[in-house]
Amino acid sequence: MEIRIAEDLKADRMTIEIIDDGSGMDEEMMQRALDPFFTTKTVRRVGLGLPLLAEACRMSNGQLCLQSCPGKGTTVRATFQNSHIDRKPLGNMGDTLFTLIVGHPEVDLFYEHRKDGAFFSLDTGEIKADLGDIPLNTPEIASALRAGILSGLQELGV
Amino acid sequence: MTLQEAVDRLEMKPLSALAKLSAEVSGGYVSDLLSDVMANAKAGDIWVTLQTHQNIVAVASLKEIAGIVLIGGREPDKGTLAKAEEEKIPLLLSGLPAFEVVGKLYQMGISGKR
Repeated sequence: MEIRIAEDLKADRMTIEIIDDGSGMDEEMMQRALDPFFTTKTVRRVGLGLPLLAEACRMSNGQLCLQSCPGKGTTVRATFQNSHIDRKPLGNMGDTLFTLIVGHPEVDLFYEHRKDGAFFSLDTGEIKADLGDIPLNTPEIASALRAGILSGLQELGV
Repeated sequence: MTLQEAVDRLEMKPLSALAKLSAEVSGGYVSDLLSDVMANAKAGDIWVTLQTHQNIVAVASLKEIAGIVLIGGREPDKGTLAKAEEEKIPLLLSGLPAFEVVGKLYQMGISGKR
């Protein structure tokens, strides 16, 4: 999976891209994916993730684009007008990222955050290769990982 | 108090799920942030909002909300209306601002206490 965030002050645009190599969607499912009453979950009939993201984009003069290919994967591309008064704050990306990683250590996650020329990136696939047999969510490793993420993002001014 | 009584007293226009207007209102919530409503609304609440996108129907359905008051005369999108009918969620249109709607409901005895 890739998560790419770009904050471009000059172009006044914030972009969030989420790219996976999962099972992908056909054209019909892509149309339905933005319907709050469509979900592949079996536990209830309502799926709000993509619909609410689409609404957040719309409210800040941006848009949500879905690209997908069955068998190959999906790209969700959310754009926002950065300075729009209704553009919601990004929030605590550090802890969000950390939670994603330790919650699903089996996923190879590439994270890139660009802000006006500077950037921070992290590749858990690479980290896991370096660690060898040691699991990513071993307490000492996880702790060091979290510290690294938070300081990296802090340096970026995020 | 039932939704129908609220409709009558506040002179609202019911737009969908008319059969559900006899439902009891057990409380009230006002918010335009759907994530906030997801976290804090209760089943049986009357929900006051300016949001008109069909996501409000999904949230209302999920939280078993008794009915949604759309304020400021903001008409729901066509999609929202259709979904509200399908999901049997009453949408009530009020020309009043949210503050007035909530004030009047409160005076009628509806509590927002969580």
